[in-house]
Amino acid sequence: MLTGLMAVLLVGIIAALTRIENWRSYTPLAGGGTATGEDAAVLNREKPAGLIRWLTTVDHKDIGLLYGLYGIIAFAVGGIMAMLIRVQLIVPGGAILGTSAYNSILTSHGITMLFLFGTPIIAAFANYFIPLLIGADDMAFPRINAIAFWLLPPAALLIWAGFFLAPVTENMIEPAQTAWTMYTPLSVEQANPGVDLMLLGLHLSGVAATMGAINFIATIFTERGDDVSWANLDIFSWTILTQSALILFAFPLLGSAIVMLLMDRNLATTFFAVEGGGPLLWQHLFWFFGHPEVYILVLPPMGLVSLILPKFSGRKLFGFKFVVYSTLAIGVLSFGVWAHHMFSTGMDPRLRASFMAVSLAIAIPSAVKTFNWITTMWNGRLRLTSPMLFCIGFVSNFIIGGVTGVFLAAIPVDLVLHDTYYVVGHFHYIVMGAIGFAVFAGIYYWFPVFTGRMYQRKLGKAHFWLSMIGTNLTFFAMLALGYLGMPRRYATYQFDGAIAPLAQVSTYHLLATVGAFILLVGQLIFVWNLVQSWLEGPKIEDGDPWNLERDGMLDKEWEWYDRKLETAITDGGEEEQSALTDGGQVADDGESDD
Amino acid sequence: MPLLGFEKETLLDLTVNVIPLGIILFFIGAFAVFNPFGLDPVFSGLQFSLMVSMFLLLAVLTYYAGRAIEGAEESAEHAAIEEPNATTGTLDDEAEESELESDDDELPEA
Repeated sequence: MLTGLMAVLLVGIIAALTRIENWRSYTPLAGGGTATGEDAAVLNREKPAGLIRWLTTVDHKDIGLLYGLYGIIAFAVGGIMAMLIRVQLIVPGGAILGTSAYNSILTSHGITMLFLFGTPIIAAFANYFIPLLIGADDMAFPRINAIAFWLLPPAALLIWAGFFLAPVTENMIEPAQTAWTMYTPLSVEQANPGVDLMLLGLHLSGVAATMGAINFIATIFTERGDDVSWANLDIFSWTILTQSALILFAFPLLGSAIVMLLMDRNLATTFFAVEGGGPLLWQHLFWFFGHPEVYILVLPPMGLVSLILPKFSGRKLFGFKFVVYSTLAIGVLSFGVWAHHMFSTGMDPRLRASFMAVSLAIAIPSAVKTFNWITTMWNGRLRLTSPMLFCIGFVSNFIIGGVTGVFLAAIPVDLVLHDTYYVVGHFHYIVMGAIGFAVFAGIYYWFPVFTGRMYQRKLGKAHFWLSMIGTNLTFFAMLALGYLGMPRRYATYQFDGAIAPLAQVSTYHLLATVGAFILLVGQLIFVWNLVQSWLEGPKIEDGDPWNLERDGMLDKEWEWYDRKLETAITDGGEEEQSALTDGGQVADDGESDD
Repeated sequence: MPLLGFEKETLLDLTVNVIPLGIILFFIGAFAVFNPFGLDPVFSGLQFSLMVSMFLLLAVLTYYAGRAIEGAEESAEHAAIEEPNATTGTLDDEAEESELESDDDELPEA
């Protein structure tokens, strides 16, 4: 079923792209016509038309949009997988999937959301806005930028290959069933070639992320405008710079570990065999990458919130430099905490204690940021627009996700809760409740910049409230499930009544599934809003739709957008109603919105 | 008196990273004094080298980041003195504080 859905999705995207414009229209001749002899509207455009534009572009904004489209498609795929998981677990015996299918879906859900949605959607914002925010013409290496993106579609195809190939190879090649952590010896011993394809895809996505990171570091160091120094570099660029440094140190290590795993699987090496390096070596290598990966995913969303939240609070970010220094602190310390994922492996207790110490220390910089955001809002002139709501939701969910993380950093607590749904609830509060929310905030905040139109504010708010309620229902139920001792990753479950009553566990699973459906409805509204507003939303006619100039907070990207509007080549467009913004351009005091 | 060549304002900003440094330092001391698992050359060595290396890396990065930002601020101030119309950097804490105060006065009653 999933294969069919994906096939329809891909065909639909290709069809939509080819319909945008006749792609043959781009071969301009000196005489003013085109090589195809068609009278296509080429000459009043600054870029080639149709599909060719998107296939050949090296413009950071176009590549940003491609990353965004890619990320949202991956989010949809990963989301469908999440729904299948949740429906499966309504009843203890499993409602819809066999155990193999469940394991496949579970594995792909994790990898898709982290590597195909999380990292690319952040790259979408970074590509589009970093050059604008720092006053650069483009990225330092525009072509490497394009290559980095175009490695991602094949990466996705390889990661999902098992789903496409299983029906045509009579299950000779199945989707990987290793879970996203790919722990040995399980991942070495599964003979399924789908695991190899998934590993190659993951490797490819790591190469793409590394190329992107090098590009961002070079851009932020060398391409800043004359008026942008280290003292007034914006907070989003700081977080992207730190994130890129983390990628540079973490992803090549994942690549090496993946190559070792591939060799163990195919060339009979013994890196992770008991007689060789031992299965625990994989866990050390994986988590040395894996924990920085957590911060790779969360730092830029923190930057987004630090950038957007002050705009709707009517005051500057409280303690800007605290946020900068604590971002750098997280960057360094994230490399010294990896074994807190391995407290229950029987490692030496002295070593375990030192990882606990650094894990507790890294909680401080994150907590500092939380207080900075709250203090920024304190006594501020809040405007509860959709981006602001998502920022506040971010802070709220991040507190729950963060505090549960501090508990898990303590060895005695972790030994009890390890491998339960408590851990799943904890990190979903971060990846969905925080990272997802910041992404939504960014999309709504900059929607006018990349579409030239305004989204529908009622749908935006419906999206927020459904997401907020759905997230908290689903993932709080998971925290409770963890306390009841429900192990993670299981396709079916049975309980000894002495541990927890089965009916109680089933009820919490049911609650989590209800929450997931609420989330699903919210995301459907989001996609509808995104597409319909992009096509039909009221056009923006002013470079300051959020009324930021009043507070002196009109950043460079909006100044750029204003210049773009003023210098736009008219296309003889049709009459359209002007934008009723979500931010208060219409009203004088900016508080018309709520 | 400037400490490590930093101005007072910068030192205050850097305190944010002194706290995790302090926590690591506390555990280094605590594990040195109270070590229920005994001493082992390999594992105790790894235990302390992890904490010490994180401490040093964070201290060094914080120092150089502080230097870079303070340096950029100073050159921005010099530019502002030479060219009175030039805008000051967004990180001017004093300006920020006074703006916050004036903001408070203008706030509508909630």
